[in-house]
Parts: sequence; C-alpha cells; structure tokens
Amino acid sequence: MSKIMTVDVLSSIKGAQPSEAVNRLFEVIKNANSTTNNAFNNNHNNCVSLNDLRADEVIESSTTEKQIIIENFPKEKNGYLVVSKVIED
Amino acid sequence: MNKEITCTDLVQEKLALLKQNTHQTVNTLLNDLAIDLATKVDAKIAKGETIGLLEGIPFGIKDVYMLQGTYTTASSALLKKYKSAYTATAIQKLLDAGAIPLVKENCDSFGHGSSSENTIFGAVKNAINPELVGGGSSGGSAVNVAKDYTVFSIGGDTGGSVRQPAGYNCVYGLKPTYGRISRFGLMAYASSTDCVGPIAKSVEDIRIVLNAMSGKDNKDQTTYASAEIENKNISNSESIKTVGYFKNFIDSEAIDAQVKSDFLASIEKIKAKGIEVKALDFFKSDTLVSTYYTLAMAETASNLSRLDGTNYGNRIEAETLKETYAVTRSENFSEETKRRIVGGNQVLSQGFSDEIYLKGLALRDDISENFENDFAAVDVILSPVTPNTPPKIGDSLKDPLAMYLSDAYTVGFSLGQLPTLTVPQGTATGLQISAAKNNDELVLKFANFLKDTI
Repeated sequence: MSKIMTVDVLSSIKGAQPSEAVNRLFEVIKNANSTTNNAFNNNHNNCVSLNDLRADEVIESSTTEKQIIIENFPKEKNGYLVVSKVIED
Repeated sequence: MNKEITCTDLVQEKLALLKQNTHQTVNTLLNDLAIDLATKVDAKIAKGETIGLLEGIPFGIKDVYMLQGTYTTASSALLKKYKSAYTATAIQKLLDAGAIPLVKENCDSFGHGSSSENTIFGAVKNAINPELVGGGSSGGSAVNVAKDYTVFSIGGDTGGSVRQPAGYNCVYGLKPTYGRISRFGLMAYASSTDCVGPIAKSVEDIRIVLNAMSGKDNKDQTTYASAEIENKNISNSESIKTVGYFKNFIDSEAIDAQVKSDFLASIEKIKAKGIEVKALDFFKSDTLVSTYYTLAMAETASNLSRLDGTNYGNRIEAETLKETYAVTRSENFSEETKRRIVGGNQVLSQGFSDEIYLKGLALRDDISENFENDFAAVDVILSPVTPNTPPKIGDSLKDPLAMYLSDAYTVGFSLGQLPTLTVPQGTATGLQISAAKNNDELVLKFANFLKDTI
C-alpha cells in the first residue's frame, strides 16, 4: 500500500496535528550522538528463552469474568454483541 | 501510642476519611468489598488464628490496575464505565496476603502526565500544600499515603510516576527492577518501562509490600524469580563503600538553588560517614527526556490503539465504522493523551522511524551501557528526584515541554530498568537511590542508612 496516511488517520483522532512540544523532543534525538550503530544488536532486550515459553493452552474464563466482559461491550444487537467488521479500504 | 482496634473499625475510619475526598484522590471507593474483607479478618482473629503481616492492612490502588468487578477508568473519559473482568497479579498477591483494598486512586489519564491534573476526576491536591499539584502520574496514591488515608498504595512507574509524587508528598516510593513484579493487569502505557511500585511511609513497609508482590508470573513473560528481601539483610550498610552522583544533574541551570545546595549537603553527610563519593558523567537531561518520551510515545500509541469503543469504552456512533473509531477517540482522549498518541505514530511512521525511533532505541542502549559501567565503579547512585519543587495546580498544563523536562532526573533510571527508590529526605522533594539491575535489596539497605545519616 503506497497511500500516504497522515497522523490524524494513523491515530484515528480527528484533526490531529503534530505538536510543537513533541517535535522539539524529536529534534534532540535527531541531533544526539549515539555510539551504538544497530539498535537491535545489543544485550538489553527482555527476551524470553525458548525453554521458558509458557504452555500454549486454553484457559476457560470464570462465569463472573465472562459476565463482566459482556457488560463492558458498548453495543448489542438482537441479543448478539457487535464486534468490528473488516475495513475494506 | 498503642491502641487496640478491630480491623473493621480501622477500615471504616479510613473509608470515612477517603469519602470526604479532600484532595481529589478518590476515583472509586471500595466500601462494600473493604468492609466484607475486614469482617473476615476480625473473625479470623476472634478464632485465635494467626494472621500474616499484611492481613487487614488497608491499601489504595492506582486506577490503572484491574481488580475484578471494580471500575478501572485510568482516569479517562473513554473508560469511565469500564469494569475490570479480572484482577492484576500484583493486586491478587496482596489480596492473598490479606491486605484490604479501599480505593481506586486518581492519577493522570493512562499515566500521561507528571502532575495528576490530566484526569476527569479533578486535579489531585498536594498533601503538604493543597494549592500545589500532587505529582504524577500516581498522584492520588502518594497523597493518600501521605495523609494516612491508606497505609500503603500501589502506583505505577513508567518514567517516574511513583518516585516523583512520592517526592512531592514526602513519602517513600519504589520503582523496582523491571520484571520483578508482574505487569499483568496493569493498563499498559509504555510496556518496556512500566513497573508496579509501592508507596509507603517507611522502608520496612516498602520491603514487606515488595516481597508480597514480587515473583515470576507466566502471564507476564518479562518477570523473573527473585529472592525475598529479609530485614536483617538491609539493616546494616557496611557493604556500601562508594556512592556516585551525576555531575550534570547538579550543575544544570534548571535545578532550583535550594534543591542543589540541599543535595550537596546530603553528599557531605554521606562522605562524613567514611563513604567514598564519586561524581559521574551522564547524558544531558534533554537527551534523556527525549529518548524516554520518544520510546514511551511509540509504545503508548500502539498500546492505546485498541481503545476504539468496540470491545469496551465509551463508544460514540458516527456514520461509518472508521468515523465511529475516530469520533470515539477524539472525544474521549485528553489533549495530553492525544499529543502522545500522535507523537508515537509520527515516530513509528515510514521516514521517521530510522531517524527517530531506532535512534532512540540506540540511545537507550548507550544509556544502559553507561549504567553498567557506573555500577562497576560505585555501589549506588544518588540523585535529586526533581529539579524543582511542585508547581501550582494549573501551571503544568500550559507548557507540556516544561512538564516533560521536569522528568529529567527520573526517566534515565526507567530506561535502564533499574531499581530506584525515592526517600523523603535530603531535598524538599527527596532523594533517589538507584542500584544495578536486580539489586533492589541494596537500594533498601542504603535507604536505611540514609534514614540514620541525613
């Protein structure tokens, strides 16, 4: 997709514009000197070891939890909860 | 003074104080739940059963933690009616230990702020001078502890949000090593620096609450197993030989003259105890602040993208689905939250990500490396918590850049994922003690030493 998206579209916030205060922070970053050439070539990431991955299992939610999730749903139609549909464009 | 009081009476006393909401610290009062739990503790005592250290102790919860069946609003309009479906691991551990939750506490919306003014529940008032801000983002939590409305409170610290309000209200506030306490059930702001942090009036209370919440949790894969910190291991500071401080923090033009002279006086007292003090070089404040905010904004833009009024949230209908998302988010997010989401999407977008986001990550690595070198030379690093005393309510919102820069002394330790504790001593807004990763014990040990030294 080559379409250019503006920040208001990217952020789903109507009329959003970059702010002067935040742009000034970015200017500092652009002008800063970093000794590290590759941000991903480092030892500071919080990686999980393959041996330590959690089990891939389905855990049934409690009845209370399910009930609250339903309560939190903003929209209901004919007894069904309305979830998002695929955006075509 | 020793006074015998039932747990129910104690809880009712605290609830009555909180109900008045004198400092706008209360988002939801957990009246029925607290009384119910207190009654059970009293019954246990009446039966002669042994009770744990935290059993019956009333505490507060920043309103970004899930506690099943309670509103968790993040002080935002979007989640004003959102009810937690489950309970955060850290909070569940406190409940299991018998502690009693009294209140969901006011804070900056989604943790976005340093003053607890960015909230739909009204600005939190400082515990010492109510004309000043309570600090943020965990302002309500720090003020409740300072006013004795709660015995301890659980805040959240992403860039200083526990340590700065603790400093502003003269209480202790700990940001543990990243990963020591599970973030499961903490509403995500910037996942790579988000930490669960206790606020209390003593080092001992911090130790007890920290121990109760720590540990590996398979619901948060960044957590690690940690040993319990025992009181006897933090009561003697003989192992601490060298203390460092960052020269540029103190030489900065932005620091208040009194904060500076008080900090240097504290350093002299430490030296007088025979501890070697080293002045260290560090990154410029604007680099620290910019690196932190760049990464935090990128992460919050991603984390908050799920808030579109579909599965939860205050949905506002519009003509199309996309319009519904946009109107829901535009109307319900605060100006500060919108500023950070937009900033985050700017740095993550093509053309900007290499120049800003990846550079920010590289700078973060440099900062971490700097810390590693420092802790080869010193045992702990001492810093002021803030360059200045708390601003008046209303002043911070006018100048976001000034607010970002006021976090200069706290954000570096967040980027380094280091354990850092605010102690209510040394300067008007306290001192921060930092140690190498996973060395939370040393931080508490030095806090005990400072208690007797300054």
